[in-house]
Amino acid sequence: MADNTTETVSRIAEIIINELKLEDVTPETFEPDLDLVDEVGIDSMDLATIALVLRDEYGIRIDEDDYPKLTTVRIIADYIDSKRAEKE
Amino acid sequence: MDKQEYKFSDIIADPVIRERFEKVRKYFFLRESTYDMSNRCNIRCEGCYYFQGDKQFAEENRSVTDWRQLMAAENERGITFVVLAGAEPSLVPELCKTCYDEISLGCIASNGLILLPKEIDYRIHISVWGNDATSLEIRKAKDMLVRQMDNYGGDPRAVWVYTFTPLNIDQTREVTEKLAANKLQITFNMFSAPVGYDGQLRHTPDSLARTRTAMMELLNEFPETVLFSPYNVVAHTHEQGLHDLFSCSYPRMNPSTDIGLGRSFRQYRTDLKWDRAAACCVPDTDCDDCRHYAAGSAVVTARMYRHAANPLHFSAWLDYVDTYLAIWVKGYEKGVNLCRDMIEPPSGEE
Repeated sequence: MADNTTETVSRIAEIIINELKLEDVTPETFEPDLDLVDEVGIDSMDLATIALVLRDEYGIRIDEDDYPKLTTVRIIADYIDSKRAEKE
Repeated sequence: MDKQEYKFSDIIADPVIRERFEKVRKYFFLRESTYDMSNRCNIRCEGCYYFQGDKQFAEENRSVTDWRQLMAAENERGITFVVLAGAEPSLVPELCKTCYDEISLGCIASNGLILLPKEIDYRIHISVWGNDATSLEIRKAKDMLVRQMDNYGGDPRAVWVYTFTPLNIDQTREVTEKLAANKLQITFNMFSAPVGYDGQLRHTPDSLARTRTAMMELLNEFPETVLFSPYNVVAHTHEQGLHDLFSCSYPRMNPSTDIGLGRSFRQYRTDLKWDRAAACCVPDTDCDDCRHYAAGSAVVTARMYRHAANPLHFSAWLDYVDTYLAIWVKGYEKGVNLCRDMIEPPSGEE
């Protein structure tokens, strides 16, 4: 699970960097506990876009009511891994 | 309805959809709040939301310095779009200009009877509640449309906002024709009852259906004049209100302060105070009856995820967002509607 999560964290960071066109950061240097709202400055529409890309990537649905909880890359990774585990 | 499961990447692989998505996406940075500019108005309309509840009794703060400080603070907390409203902002042009100097994107809701200075380069929404005979009856003001057009004819800031009530549905054509003849633009609003209002302007299932028919006819006949889409028609004339359809994300109905409107939206009164419990774009509206155009602009737009279920719903959503941007952002040009049919909103369930 730990390896899976590490992989998920890295991939989510990559998606966020690509979608938000963030500069001066790579998936390796993206701090997974950074608060995406307070410290990265993403808003609900950004998060909805990211959620759609994650839906494609992992085949899971992110409930609209769950958006507010997804405040860091690590929390998103845990959320996705738990959703994937539910499906298995 | 199409039951095929689509990936988002498949939906936006369509070049027309992708182009429109990229066009509207550039404006995802917009974060709004609204501001009551004055507790006075030069007319008094039946059913006016401003003169409901206790916000009308707030003291006016007319200090340019205080307003400048407020706008600077709003800018600092990430607000990028201001809506200047209640009661009549054109009575305090110096405050509107102060807001414009600090935050350059915004909109002013006005009755259009007093011309706002050109240097306030916000979108200006001019309210229409029927033909001039009805305006005289409901708003106690003579020749409203004539005077509004005298003030704002040829002004690229202006868009007329026609509020449908059960009493004025058949007058929309007359107003639209006059605006079309002068190459002006109109969009549609729905009267949404203030809390406790039980008067003649509250919509009924019959008036909603008649409004839907009128809107579609005008949209089809005056595509250069009417800023709207078939999906706007559906969303605003549905028997269910906006909250039931899309789950309103304004603080008044949304306890979350984590992200989006629940986090950033504030509705300031004329004394520059705000109350989270009353914060939405049209305070004191009965939420069950809310079909207001300003509410829909935020509430429908926020539900991108659920609309990205198939190309049809996503196209309808794009039309809605494209329309909202054209109405609210000066200089934004609306594209051709991608979805020509009236489709039911998605439920939000898997």
